[in-house]
Amino acid sequence: MTHHPGPAEVDASVNEAGEPGVKPPGSSGFLASWRARLRFLLAVLASRPLFAVGYIIVFAVILLAIFAPWIAPYHPEKANPTDYLQAPSWRHLLGTDQTGMDIFSRIIYAPRIDLTIAIGGTAISAIVGSLIGAVVGYYQEMGGTRSLAAGFIMRTADVLQAFPVFVFAIALVAIFGQSLQSIIAAIAFVNAPIYLRLMRSQVLSIRNMRYIEAAYVSGANDMNIMLRHVIPNSMAPILSQLSVNIGWSVLLTAALSFVGAGVEAPIPEWGSMIAMGFGNIITGQWWPSVFPGIALGVTVFGFALVGASVEVLADPARRRALAGTLREKKRPNAPSKQPAEAA
Amino acid sequence: MANETQKVFDTGQPVLSIDGLNVSYPVYGEDPVQAVRDLDLHIQPGEIVGLVGESGSGKTTLARSVMGLLVQPGRVDTGTIQFDGKDLRALPEKQLRAVRGKDIAMVIPNPRSELDPLVTVGRQISNVARAHLGIKRDEADQMAMDMLNAVQIPDPDRRFKAYPHELSGGMAQRVVMAISLVCSPKFVISDDATSGLDVTVQAQVLDLLRALVRSHNTAMLFITRDIGITAHFCDRVAVIYAGEIVEIAPMQSFFENPMHPYSVMLLAAFAHNPTLRAKWHKPLASAAPAHGGACAYAGRCVHAEDHCRQNSAELRELAPGHLVRCHFPVERPL
Amino acid sequence: MRVLRYIGRRMLFIVPQLVGIVLVSFLLVKMIPGDPAVMMVGPMASAETLAKLRTELGLDGSIMYQFWIYLTNLVQGDLGTSWQTTRPVLNDLFVRFPATLELITLSLLLALLIGIPLGVAAAYFRRSVVKKFSDYYGLLAGALPDFWLGMILIYFFYTIFQIAPAPLGRIGFAVMTPSPVTNFLIIDCILEGNWQALWSTLGHLILPVVTLGVITAGPILKMTQSTMERMLESDFIRYADMCGLPKSVVIRQAFRNSLPSIVTIVSVLYGFLVGGAVLVEIVFSWGGAGQYAVQGVLNADINPVLGFVLFSAVLSLIIYLIVDLIYFAIDPRIRG
Repeated sequence: MTHHPGPAEVDASVNEAGEPGVKPPGSSGFLASWRARLRFLLAVLASRPLFAVGYIIVFAVILLAIFAPWIAPYHPEKANPTDYLQAPSWRHLLGTDQTGMDIFSRIIYAPRIDLTIAIGGTAISAIVGSLIGAVVGYYQEMGGTRSLAAGFIMRTADVLQAFPVFVFAIALVAIFGQSLQSIIAAIAFVNAPIYLRLMRSQVLSIRNMRYIEAAYVSGANDMNIMLRHVIPNSMAPILSQLSVNIGWSVLLTAALSFVGAGVEAPIPEWGSMIAMGFGNIITGQWWPSVFPGIALGVTVFGFALVGASVEVLADPARRRALAGTLREKKRPNAPSKQPAEAA
Repeated sequence: MANETQKVFDTGQPVLSIDGLNVSYPVYGEDPVQAVRDLDLHIQPGEIVGLVGESGSGKTTLARSVMGLLVQPGRVDTGTIQFDGKDLRALPEKQLRAVRGKDIAMVIPNPRSELDPLVTVGRQISNVARAHLGIKRDEADQMAMDMLNAVQIPDPDRRFKAYPHELSGGMAQRVVMAISLVCSPKFVISDDATSGLDVTVQAQVLDLLRALVRSHNTAMLFITRDIGITAHFCDRVAVIYAGEIVEIAPMQSFFENPMHPYSVMLLAAFAHNPTLRAKWHKPLASAAPAHGGACAYAGRCVHAEDHCRQNSAELRELAPGHLVRCHFPVERPL
Repeated sequence: MRVLRYIGRRMLFIVPQLVGIVLVSFLLVKMIPGDPAVMMVGPMASAETLAKLRTELGLDGSIMYQFWIYLTNLVQGDLGTSWQTTRPVLNDLFVRFPATLELITLSLLLALLIGIPLGVAAAYFRRSVVKKFSDYYGLLAGALPDFWLGMILIYFFYTIFQIAPAPLGRIGFAVMTPSPVTNFLIIDCILEGNWQALWSTLGHLILPVVTLGVITAGPILKMTQSTMERMLESDFIRYADMCGLPKSVVIRQAFRNSLPSIVTIVSVLYGFLVGGAVLVEIVFSWGGAGQYAVQGVLNADINPVLGFVLFSAVLSLIIYLIVDLIYFAIDPRIRG
């Protein structure tokens, strides 16, 4: 008896759904139309400015990546040996590095490669990982060879996850050769078990819900149930994981480059820029490392914020709790509370 | 027990007075949900008042308002809650904590999840005693032991050292009662306390609770969904619907002459008589209780007339101590 | 004893698990292109020398044969030799693992000191500055690259203020290093009573420990906060409030119930840091185990990599065992 929805709601849900728990979650009428959703999102962003900051950062970084050639004042890979290690000035906004490349231009170009790797790697791992996870979760308790296979997949994931992540990633890059594709593959490989586990546990908990049983009893086949009921209802944690994971993959990419197993030197990438500036920072030229680090941190921060907002918004219970804290001004033409709307 | 002569309570200083209480939960984009509305309730020392209502009617909200522990984002809008001459709403948190568990205690349902899984039950009882009575550990442990005996737990020495997961539901319920009563409170709120138990266990626990409360002359607000229990249990019965008390009366008067259609419907349902039930139960056209300018129960009432849908009803005293919120009180219900 | 039976059952699984891990990592590193023989003798060597070396290293057999050789040597305590350091891997790891463990243990302690009080406070005072601060802190700590933070600290405290020692290893050059007993420098210094070396060691530890500690506090903070929040909303805490127990008692009760989650995250972090500290190790030229493995991967030096993976696997198994024992101590439900 923690939540008190008020008499209207209780009566309605009992009468219309017949039995609570038969209806799939997420079909509640609160936020029925797209306009209501948009208005809600804006209200959330207004009351949680931090979330808004996250969206702005992510949006800005993506724009930078797209329009880099028009924004950057210099070529990002052109060394100018006479202009090396210049402190920030009007000519070089963020200074130059030891080979005389303009740091500002390189920072603007960097998300092109960093985001490609991070988004690509995350997307592959999410799709592959959660599909396998869904299948494993769905068949795990069914017995027979299929559940044996599911068990085998899980043990393999155990062994893979027992490896120290970073050394594993470096080894993968070393095996596939140092290229963009192999870095993406390495990141996808390292991340996939996360989605596998997440999806599996989601599916396991949803599998025994009564609306799945209801679909089964009414004659839907496994494929149908999986695609139309199980996967859509398991998506919330996956979605909230995505953005956080992209940020984390940006960090991993940078770390790989930092040890020399990632993006190779002249290509503008935040991690390798930080690595290149490492020798200079001890002798007092801080700018070649500091600025790319800030760019990297802000980007990851932005993705983490978006992830945090998705985590709240994708979960019906937390969304409701959040809605409860919004002090929205009553609209003058607000529709009076009709029973139909409450249902 | 139902025929036990009715105890009469003098109308002196009530131990708990609730006046004009309004509690609401804000809802995004809509009007706040009014969970308790203009509620008055006065309970005399030693009196047991039963509060009956369906889920969502505001029973638990009322109990939590008294304890000052409303669930977020609920809030008390207006009204006073006087306990033993103190205005509870005005008390600072620290003093409120000193009242909770010592002077006002609560018995809750689903007791196994209400107990700390990592602490032995004996310790949980003595911790409450220690916190409120400022006594030494040994003394508190002794009190806890006495309480375990008082709530008739079998093999109390062993149970004292048991963890909550090792107890059955009925035993855990007895432990919760021991915790509630260890400081001899003046007022106990029992919130649907036995709803999770088997019927036989439920009866034992209820008898015990009643005996303990009576022997200490403790007042009690007994919240339940089961109107049948109140007949055995209470001195007065209050029926709550959509946050309003719709009928409140001394026990005998209530059961002999229920006057609100909702009370009658509850009794009819309890009587397990299909004809009666059919007569008083109306398939719902509109589930939402309409407030403001209408009787809240009009939408579900079998006797509702246009007058009911246009005028809100007030509580009126129609027999000694028997108040009903209805334009057309039922005369011969059964 | 129940505990012993429990440990025994865990031990049964350890051996197959370890063999699995070694096998997978063996296949993995074998796939890394690059011929160790060529790297060892250089590109100018004659084909004859190369062939001889290959036979010596067992490189001319099948993969499974090579794995068999590796396993038989492993059972005898021989983890092979690193061609880079030309020393037995076991000897190298006995120096390098303590270096890493010393670093990450202290870092985790610092992280706990930051994360737990902050997390508890943020969970309890839900509309306070502390809560805001800890929200920001959690997000920032997750966003900042640790190697970058280390460099910033070096810039300020070594380059500018000149109060920190040069980021070149675990102890100053001018100091007499204690004779290696445990290879945990702090312990060795104390054993020898070499206070000057101890002072230098502690000085060298500060910056890397702060770097890792500040970053690692993020996940601990988040876990503490979210578990505490859940506990504070749980039925038994609400009941404790209804019983009017003092705030401090209620918080302690909630914290005790949050401990299992916190212990879990700490153990996960510990396992992660064994390899994950490598970037900070590189920045501070720490000479740790992660660095050793990364150098191995980058130079097709497989024995150090395998040795490292094996060591970390054993370490994490030990950690999980300790975690289970802690659960045993905390939670009567597991004791059963």
